[in-house]
Amino acid sequence: MANATAINAGMPVTRRRMTMKKFVRRKSTIAFVMALPLILLIALLVVYPALFSMYLATLNKSMEHFVGFGNFEFLFKRDTFWMVVKQSCIFAISAVFFKALIGFFVAHFVHAIPAKGQRKWRGMLLVPWVIPPAMSTLGWFWLFDPTYSAFNWIFVRIGIDPVNWLGDPMWARFSVILVNIWYGAPFFLIMYLAALKSVPEQLFEAASIDGANWWQKIWYITLPMMRNIISITVLFSLIVTFANFDIVRILTNGGPVDQTHVFATWAFNLGIQSSDIPLGASVSLFMLPILAIAAIFILRGVNQRGNEA
Amino acid sequence: MTTATATTGQTRPVRQASMQRSRRWALIWSYVFLVMFAVFFLMPPIYMFITSLKSSGEVAAITNPWWVFHPTLENYAALLGSSTFMTFFRNSAVVALIVVVVTMLISIPAAFALSRMKFWGSATLATGVFLTYLVPDTLLFIPMFKIFAFVHEYTGIELINHWWALIIIYPTLTVPFATWILIAYFASIPKELDEAALIDGAGYLQMLTMIFIPVALPGIIAATIFAFTVAWSQFLYPLAFTTSADQLVLPVGIVTTLIKGDVYNWGQIMTGALLGAAPPLIIYAFLMDYYIAGLTAGATKG
Amino acid sequence: MTSSKRFNRRRFLATTAAASAITLTPPFIRSARAAGALSVGFWDHWVPGANDTLTKICNEWAAKEKVDIKIDYITSQGNKNILTIVAEAQAKSGHDILQFPAWDASTHAKNLAPVDDVMNTAIKKNGSAPAVVEYLGKVDGHWIGVAATTGSQLKGPCGRIDLLKKYAGLDIVKMYPGAGGKPDTALQDQWTWEAFLAAAEKCHKGGNPFGLALGQTSDSVDWVGALFHAFGAQLVDAKGNITIKSDAVKQVLEYAQRLVKVLPPDVFAWDDASNNKYLISGQGSLIMNPPSAWAVAKRDNIKVAEQCWTFPSPKGVKGRYAPGQPYFWGTWKWSKNIPAAKSLLAHLSERASIERLVAASGGYDIPGFSGLRDFKTWAEEGPPKGTVYNYPPRADQIVSIAGAPAPVGIANQIYNQATMTKMIAKCTQGGESIDKAIGWGASELEGFMRV
Repeated sequence: MANATAINAGMPVTRRRMTMKKFVRRKSTIAFVMALPLILLIALLVVYPALFSMYLATLNKSMEHFVGFGNFEFLFKRDTFWMVVKQSCIFAISAVFFKALIGFFVAHFVHAIPAKGQRKWRGMLLVPWVIPPAMSTLGWFWLFDPTYSAFNWIFVRIGIDPVNWLGDPMWARFSVILVNIWYGAPFFLIMYLAALKSVPEQLFEAASIDGANWWQKIWYITLPMMRNIISITVLFSLIVTFANFDIVRILTNGGPVDQTHVFATWAFNLGIQSSDIPLGASVSLFMLPILAIAAIFILRGVNQRGNEA
Repeated sequence: MTTATATTGQTRPVRQASMQRSRRWALIWSYVFLVMFAVFFLMPPIYMFITSLKSSGEVAAITNPWWVFHPTLENYAALLGSSTFMTFFRNSAVVALIVVVVTMLISIPAAFALSRMKFWGSATLATGVFLTYLVPDTLLFIPMFKIFAFVHEYTGIELINHWWALIIIYPTLTVPFATWILIAYFASIPKELDEAALIDGAGYLQMLTMIFIPVALPGIIAATIFAFTVAWSQFLYPLAFTTSADQLVLPVGIVTTLIKGDVYNWGQIMTGALLGAAPPLIIYAFLMDYYIAGLTAGATKG
Repeated sequence: MTSSKRFNRRRFLATTAAASAITLTPPFIRSARAAGALSVGFWDHWVPGANDTLTKICNEWAAKEKVDIKIDYITSQGNKNILTIVAEAQAKSGHDILQFPAWDASTHAKNLAPVDDVMNTAIKKNGSAPAVVEYLGKVDGHWIGVAATTGSQLKGPCGRIDLLKKYAGLDIVKMYPGAGGKPDTALQDQWTWEAFLAAAEKCHKGGNPFGLALGQTSDSVDWVGALFHAFGAQLVDAKGNITIKSDAVKQVLEYAQRLVKVLPPDVFAWDDASNNKYLISGQGSLIMNPPSAWAVAKRDNIKVAEQCWTFPSPKGVKGRYAPGQPYFWGTWKWSKNIPAAKSLLAHLSERASIERLVAASGGYDIPGFSGLRDFKTWAEEGPPKGTVYNYPPRADQIVSIAGAPAPVGIANQIYNQATMTKMIAKCTQGGESIDKAIGWGASELEGFMRV
């Protein structure tokens, strides 16, 4: 508007000065000021400590000398480290896969029942996500207890051998993944349920008329329409699951012979219990670049699809 | 022609009937699976509740774990009557409420700015804001010790071992996701409202408070509940930063005072865990629809 | 003036906590500490009431010395105590005195003020400190921690009198009687690790196996450390050389293979509480644990408690090693009131104070001085009376800790990473050969050599 009046008045545009007042009134300045607390929060309390941790990861054990990538070289030579990498990947990828799968299918079931019943079921099924994970993991810990497991009590009564939930390496990994799925699936459920509701009913009816069965409907209609939300939820869950600490820590603390250790718990063990903070920081940092690259790709894909829409 | 209509006339009722039958089957199967999953999801809290009604003697004796033979409220009485436990509860409540307010004060303006206005880097910030979750909390708390010590040296304010340190740290966990929810929600508000307001001469602040916040209330409530739940549930940060019994919050307080050495008091622990889970659950029960609507606003964008 | 302000604030907090009102105390801006203020962080004792006795002793001292004392009890749950130590070491501020579990005093030695004066006086009065206490508490010739009474424990056998007699024909009360009884030295000589294994086999056949933890927590590591010591199996020697590829290590692993066959299969997942639960439920005939399990059994399952008896570990080729876990009290170098701190530590090392602490813990705490093994508490606690009489280490017992005598930086990791129990797990549950387990152990040890 200022432009218009200036030109109309015959004044050259270059003579328009950027006064302080105009600067403050500018849309982008106001926007910046409004976003400033967010930017400061992230810069001071996330970015700066992260950079400091990267610095810590370059020190030697007694934190007196600079060793550059020495800590990473040391880690790459240790079998336990690669085992933790493998375990973290198995844990995160399988947990996220099943969470998404369960969330996706249960969303369909909830969607299929009459609308007024949906609210009740939705409410019940979201409960695991609302309970603080430290508390619910304690409950699971009690359910898996070697002496008092309620599951084993049932198993013994129906003739199955009691399961060594937390002591056998395979079962321990299963238990940890199970609790993570239990905790996280409801989140996927409500996200996918909402996305499902926004897929137009006519598409499904048209497909039915064409003779599509339920599997084809999902593959050709539902999944493509939900690509964005699936990408975002999977990404978010991968990031958060890779960093998971509470569940493994409370259930197995790394498990029989380190076989359920994930990055966060092993880093804690090394850094705090064995007093090797730089090494702990190195372990925590390891996944960062990999996840960051995955995140950038996925988000770019989401943005592109958003622009195409 | 007539044969054609005759045949279609014949097939339609048949197809409708078979479609009805298959719909009914779908419904039955849906209920079957829903019941199965409901059992899976609800079984642990129910089991925790059953255990919380047991005395420690009954817990130690290996009777039927799925049933209480001599239900007792002694665990609840012990915890609700204990001043330490009530201190934990109070600390948790105070911290969670303040964090929610702080989160909203940061997230709402930021989401408004990022969804409606442009400045250099705003697009990256909007999509990337939740990449802050990439930095795990097991990595952050050691540098935070140093930062807090630094603050202590230069201003004399003690942060370590005080609950107000948590108010500074928790927003790093709540703000990104809350902002992200709100951006999605604000973005879904039609732009005509903005223009109408601008024409009426409203400034941006007025636009935000008079129009956006009321319209986006479900999203804001959802973000509030999310922030509250996250703040209430934290375990690692309070474990690292608070020590004295009067500074602890509930999750850490339960684990550290009810589990001593190698002595577990399962009845009380389960009671404490349920009491600790109660506030988020209650809030969720009342505000469930807002919560879900707000969380899923981004989902419907597809 | 500052002390009265602090006193009022403490009272203020206490009353508001009791009233459960929602009040907010403003950020506490502290000026330089007044002389005569001390902030202490002790280990949170699990025995109900034990913390109160310690508080009382400290307050008595504080009243006498006119020091304004503030005490926190820090749990070991979730490694909270270690987290606090690390936080304060990083921040170079916090409490004046902290309680350090076994390894952490030596780990943070360079931040701790030497307490030679306090320890030497205490040793003169109370008798020498066991070698393991010196190993963990003395760095470069200086004591950097005072042997703490609370928390220091032994993880020897705690067995069921009835079951051991029934299945294994072992009369542990005759072998190690209560106060006033005549110890049967012949029987004691026969109490070797082989006899232990034989008894374990018989109890396994009888349906109540021994419950020996083989997980990664201290309950597992401690007794396995004593086993290794008894066989003379050292992973790393005192000079820091890796000596894992020795016959002694092979022998102890072979022994472990035989022993594991008669243990419950889930012992590899046991944490510190599992063996307690195993004993209290009545299933276990013997566990390696301090008397905490018996104390809880007294509350939850008195029939089991009445049959519990704590007695020394078996003897091996190299001696009778008692799995110990000493704690220390240390004061940070940057504390603003080191004289007061040392005075408090000296007071806590007085025989009278120690006796009160041991009594309050029901005999669970083991003082770090060899002259203090004869307190009434151990003789009297029951039922059954004398159940903990043989708990404190006497006569031929050598208190040690898993990982000793390696240099503390390396031994610390052997302990915390549970290398010994993991090696056992690998060649039993893991199905690997002993040589492979030893090879794995060697590569772990190489990693521990990191500086």
